[in-house]
Amino acid sequence: MTASVSAPATPNPAAPASSVDQIRSARFRAEREAGWQRLDALIGKAESNGTRALGYDEALELASLYRQAMNALSVARAISMDKALLTYLDALCARAYLVVYAPQESLRGLFIRLITHGIPQAARRSGAPLLIGFVALLLGMLLGAVLYAQDHSWFYTFVPGGLADGRTPDASTQYLRSTLFDGGQESGDGLGSFATFLFSHNTQVAILTFALGVFVTMPSFVLTFYNGLVLGAFWKMFAEKGLAYELTGWLSIHGVTEMAAICIACAGGAQLGLAVLLPGDETRRAALQRRGRDAVKLMILAGLMLVCAAILEGFFRQTVQSTEARLAIGWGIGAAWIAWLTLSGHEPGHESARETGTGGARA
Amino acid sequence: MKSYTPTNLPAWEAKGLLRHTPPESVPITFRLSSLGARMGAQSLDIFITYGGALLIIMALATLGGLSWEGLTAFYALLSFFIRIPYYALSELVWNGRTLGKRIAGIRVISLDGRRLTPHQIVARNLMKEVEVFLPIATLFGAANLSLWPGLILATWMIATLLVPIINRLNQRIGDMVAGTVVVETPRPQLLPDLSARAATRGYEFRAEHLDIYGRFELQTLETILRNPPTSPEARKRVSEVAQTIRRRIRYDEDLPPAREWDFLLEFYRQQREYLESRNLFGDERQNKFHTAETNKG
Repeated sequence: MTASVSAPATPNPAAPASSVDQIRSARFRAEREAGWQRLDALIGKAESNGTRALGYDEALELASLYRQAMNALSVARAISMDKALLTYLDALCARAYLVVYAPQESLRGLFIRLITHGIPQAARRSGAPLLIGFVALLLGMLLGAVLYAQDHSWFYTFVPGGLADGRTPDASTQYLRSTLFDGGQESGDGLGSFATFLFSHNTQVAILTFALGVFVTMPSFVLTFYNGLVLGAFWKMFAEKGLAYELTGWLSIHGVTEMAAICIACAGGAQLGLAVLLPGDETRRAALQRRGRDAVKLMILAGLMLVCAAILEGFFRQTVQSTEARLAIGWGIGAAWIAWLTLSGHEPGHESARETGTGGARA
Repeated sequence: MKSYTPTNLPAWEAKGLLRHTPPESVPITFRLSSLGARMGAQSLDIFITYGGALLIIMALATLGGLSWEGLTAFYALLSFFIRIPYYALSELVWNGRTLGKRIAGIRVISLDGRRLTPHQIVARNLMKEVEVFLPIATLFGAANLSLWPGLILATWMIATLLVPIINRLNQRIGDMVAGTVVVETPRPQLLPDLSARAATRGYEFRAEHLDIYGRFELQTLETILRNPPTSPEARKRVSEVAQTIRRRIRYDEDLPPAREWDFLLEFYRQQREYLESRNLFGDERQNKFHTAETNKG
């Protein structure tokens, strides 16, 4: 927007003949009214058809008329007592403001910027919250395994019936092996399994983990910890039947991505929780807003990872039957995530500014 | 933050208004959305998204082709995309408006006076999950909760619901995280200038007549003059106003009922001209108590 602010409003040629008798503020209005109405028409066009519908000249005109209207509002507040005029100008400027200051990035550009810069930088900035997330899961797994080793009945406490699906401590080794390799009684078609997975358990857990973080991190931590408990007990159960290696493969193919996604969602929640718990020198509201930037990016990352995990689970887990291939795919993809997050989006010279700046890139 | 500061509009106008400072640094006024409108927009959105998904499923079911499992799977997939992605994308594309918000005439704006960033949109809609969807889902599943978890959930839900009611800007927690606020879509309406209509009606007011009232009375008179009386009662009220003004400013001419409207129009014009020029000289007369205030100070 390059239009000069002080461009004088063109006098309205259609002003009434009695303009000599008009009081000052009425003359002020009569001179500028045509411009306001033109602005109104341009806004209407942009609102109904999008800013793209405006031609080059019209866009220039819009910017210039917007500033003139703002100027007129400022002057009118000083010289006019016509309430109708002040209300009109206020609303007109507000409406024009919403058109002029609309998001201008294209969805595609936004997405690319998020992938190449936003998410990796946010992940690198959130060391401590990520640590909280992964520690929660690992502690949960450890405790789950230890408790299960002491007393098998813990399994029923940790694992909800629907999730276990017959895979309980009383099941035979034979049966457990079959669930790992044959596809068992799970629905065979890829889409069905994909979709039900997406909507079921883990997406909900991830979103909850994130959003509940605002209540001082604890719910996020507890949810992730609980996930770890289930996983730990599950793993120990198979391990006692001598199926540890096979189960690790079965879980790895999608679990590396999926569990990491839940930890990252927890880290996002922890960002919010830490802002409430330890706002530092800022007010809590300001801290929430600043940390929220990274937290949201972490959550988007978690969402992306969950979708990937769902594809892996839906299409590859039952088709790839060898444990070695499962391990290779699972951890290979895990390594790919790490490579993306650590290597992408470095901007030389900007890094130090970003560390101290409030919020970093507004991508 | 600057844009929080209450408007310096007179107190009788400041309630429910947001003074917003765009980069041009001329403050503009937005009216905060009522909670009812927001609730309505949210219900509409839920109705539209889930209703749409159901319609698609029903269409698919009547066409056949998909098994029952396929349909439920498809529905689950749809419901994943009509939650956060629907709200985030529609607010991004329509600059802070979902379909429901468009119908309700409200929109999201950024509190810092700049344009709404994608980050803000995603953040406020992610938090919607705990503030809106989770309470609804728990309500449906509340029947099989025992006493204590039920009570805890209820307190938590009430607390979440109270947040937008209590704070001044009616922000949800998501709005606070994102730094956004929901306002009514402004609808500019240009009314004719009353002073242009009332030239030469033959009333001459002198400075002592015009010294009585201030801005508030002038603008109240403007409101009256914008609604010409149609019923006998309204005409009687207008006549009361005219006679009261005539008595109060000690205007000594007789005022027959037929000329009362003209009298008011002409008085409005001259009073406005007078007050505006006093105002330019720094004599700000907010209301009829201005003489008392100047005497005091």
